Amino acid sequence: MWTFLIKDLLLFWRDRKEVAIIILLPLALVVILSLVMPGMFGEENDEEYDLNLGLVIEDEQEQGLERFEEQSRQTSDFSSNELEELLIGVHALPPVEGLIEYLNSPELAEWVSVETMVKEEAQEEVEQGNLDASLIIPEDYTFHLLADMYLNEPAEQSLIFQADDQTMEVEILSNVIQSYLDHMNLHHAISSAGGDVEVPSDALPQGEVENVEGQQPFSMDQYFTISMGALFVLFLAATVATRTGIEKRENTFKRIVLTNSPPLYYLFGKTMGTFILAWCQMMLIFIGSHFILGVFSDHGAAVWVGLILMVTIYTLAIAAISAVMTSVMLRLKKPETGDGIFMLVIMVFGVIGGNFVPIYLLPNWLQQIGEMTPNGLVLATLIEWIQYEDFSILVMPSIILSIIVIVSLFIGIKLYPKRGDVS
Amino acid sequence: MLETVQLTKAFKGKTVVDEVELYLDQGESVGLLGPNGAGKSTTISMISSLLKPTSGDVKLNQKSTIKNPVDLRKVLGVVPQEIALYEELSAYENLKFFGRIYRVPKSELESRIQDTLEIVGLKERQKDLIKTFSGGMKRRVNIATALLHNPKILILDEPTVGIDPQSRNYILEMVRQLNEQKGTTVLYTSHYMEEVEQLCNRVYIMDHGKVIAKGTKSELLSILSNEDTISVQPNRIDEEFLAAVKEIEGVRKVEVSGEEINIIAKKASNIVSELVNVGERHQVQILNFQMENPSLENVFLHLTGRTLRD
Repeated sequence: MWTFLIKDLLLFWRDRKEVAIIILLPLALVVILSLVMPGMFGEENDEEYDLNLGLVIEDEQEQGLERFEEQSRQTSDFSSNELEELLIGVHALPPVEGLIEYLNSPELAEWVSVETMVKEEAQEEVEQGNLDASLIIPEDYTFHLLADMYLNEPAEQSLIFQADDQTMEVEILSNVIQSYLDHMNLHHAISSAGGDVEVPSDALPQGEVENVEGQQPFSMDQYFTISMGALFVLFLAATVATRTGIEKRENTFKRIVLTNSPPLYYLFGKTMGTFILAWCQMMLIFIGSHFILGVFSDHGAAVWVGLILMVTIYTLAIAAISAVMTSVMLRLKKPETGDGIFMLVIMVFGVIGGNFVPIYLLPNWLQQIGEMTPNGLVLATLIEWIQYEDFSILVMPSIILSIIVIVSLFIGIKLYPKRGDVS
Repeated sequence: MLETVQLTKAFKGKTVVDEVELYLDQGESVGLLGPNGAGKSTTISMISSLLKPTSGDVKLNQKSTIKNPVDLRKVLGVVPQEIALYEELSAYENLKFFGRIYRVPKSELESRIQDTLEIVGLKERQKDLIKTFSGGMKRRVNIATALLHNPKILILDEPTVGIDPQSRNYILEMVRQLNEQKGTTVLYTSHYMEEVEQLCNRVYIMDHGKVIAKGTKSELLSILSNEDTISVQPNRIDEEFLAAVKEIEGVRKVEVSGEEINIIAKKASNIVSELVNVGERHQVQILNFQMENPSLENVFLHLTGRTLRD
C-alpha cells in the first residue's frame, strides 16, 4: 500500500500546475473574496436591514407625571429646590416620550420602521410576520418607572417586547430598545451623582454578526476561509478520481493488475493519499489565511484544536468518498463520464453546502439540506465552533462524518472491480 | 507450457475472437500475425488474464488460469501495445514502482532495475522523466517494465508500432536475445510480416477473429508450393488491364501494391507470355517482371485475398 501511496504523492508533486491550483487558488480566492465582499454578514452594510416594530402605547403619560408629582411632594426625601428641579427635568423629557422620540429619530428611521397600533393588531401583525416584533408600553408605565428611579419604589410595570421567532432582526430590535434603557439608567445614575451626560446617537450595531451572550464575533474572511477549504478538498477528491481515469486510459492500471499485487492496496493507497493531501491542503488554507488576513487572530490556541480535529475527520470522510469515486471510475467504460459526474456532484454539494454562497443567505430548508453534505456540515460546525469554542459542538458532526467514512469505504470496496474485470 | 482452448470473446453479440487454439512450448518464439482488427490484442488480453473469455480456456502447464490467474501472472511478462508508464515519473522511478509491486526482493531490486535498463539500452537516461523520451525509448522502457520480475513467458503486443527503424531493430534484436540467450518463451504479435519472419519459429495467422493458418514458416510457405508469386511493374495500371490479368488461366490472386501488381498463379502455367499478350491488347507496357520467393505476406494474401496492412 505504501508503494502506491508514495507513487501517488510523487505524481501529485510532479504536477506543479495541480499543486498550484489546489493550494494557491483557494488561498487567493479567500483573499480576493474577503476584500471584495466584506459586508456580506452585515459589516458596513446597514441598509441590508429593514426592521419593522409595532408600538403599543397603553400608558397615559400626563396622568403618570401628575401622579408622580403628587407622590413626590408627599415624601420628605427631597428638599423643595431638589423637588422643583426634578419635576422640571421630568416634565422636560418624560421617559416614554423620550423612548418614542428615540425610536422615531432619523438615525433609526433609516433601518427601523415604527408603527403605532393597538395591542391586538400588533399581536396579529407579528403572528402574520408583517412585523418583526412589537413593543408594549403598559398602563401606568411612566409613573412606575419614575417612582422606581426616584422614589425607590419597586417597579410594578415594565416594557413588554414580543416576537414570534428569535431571528437576527428580533435580536437587533431588542438590543436597540435595551440600549436606550441602559442609556437612560446611566443618565439617571450620573445625574443622581451630580454629573451630566450627552444623549448618544444610536446606530445599528457595528461589525460582525450580531452578538448574543457568550458568542464570539464571526467574520466574512473566516467564512470564506472555511468554505473554500471545505470546497477545494472536494475538488481534490475529484482530482484523485480523475487520475485513476488517466491510469486506466493509459493502461498503467492494467499493468498494476498484472503484478498480482492485492487489488485493495491500490484503492487504499489512493484513499490514504487523498487523506494526506486533503489534510495538508485544508490546513495550509487555514494557516495561510491566518497569516495573510489574520482570520483567527482574535482566538487563542483552543480554536486550532477544534479546527484540526474537524479537518482530520472531514478529510477522512473525503478520502473515503474518493475511494467510492475511484471504484466508480474503474468501472466506467469512459473515464470522461466519471469526470463530468463527479464535477456535477461537487458543484451541487458546493452550492447546497454553502461553499459558494454564505449559508445565511440561503433559505432555511436549503440550509438544512446543505448540512447533510459533508462540506455543509463541516462549514456549519466550524462556524459555530469559532463563535462558541465549545467541544460539545463537535461531537455530533464527528459521529456523522465517521459514519460517512465507514459507509463510503464499504461502498468503495464493494464497487472495486474484481480481478480480470479491468477492461 | 501455455495453451488456449477454443478461446472465444464476444462483445455485444459480435464475436471478435472465435475458438482460437494456440500453444507455446518452453523456449519457443511464436508469432501471432494478422492485420489490424484481426483479434490479436483481444486474444493477448485473454491470455494475460486481463479479459475474461466468453468461453474457452487458457491453461498453464495443463492447469486452467481463468478463475485463478495468480500463477500465470507470476511467470508472465506483458508488453502492451500502448505505453503503460507514468509519464511524470522517471524511467528509474517507473521501474522501481513496478518492481516493488511485482514483489521483487528488496535486495535484488536495484540490480534488476540496472540489468533491465542495460538490456533496453537506457541506463544513461534512467533519471529522465518518461515524458521527455522519444517514442522508441518509451517502447523500450515499456518492455523493461515487463522484464523486471524475470518472466518465463514474454508476450509482446505490437511492440514496434509507430517507432523509428533504429529503435525497431533494437527491440527486435533484444527480443531475439531474450529468447535465444535467456530461454524466455516469446509470443510476439504484429502485423509486420517481416518481424514475425525474423523472430519466430512458429506462426499463427489470424483474420476476423479466427486462426486461419498455423505452423512453422516453411510449413506456411508450403501452402504456396504449387504457386508462383510474380511481381509486375507496368507503365500504367487501369481497371480493364487488371480485369484482363485476373482472367488469365492459372491466376489465383491479383493485388495492386503501389506501382506494382503482385500475382499469385498456378505453377507451370504460361503466365509470362499471357501477361505480355494482355499488355499489348490494352496498350500497357511491362517495364519490369520478377518471379519472387513466396513470403508470409503472400501466404496471407493467398488465404484472405487481402494484404496484412489492409
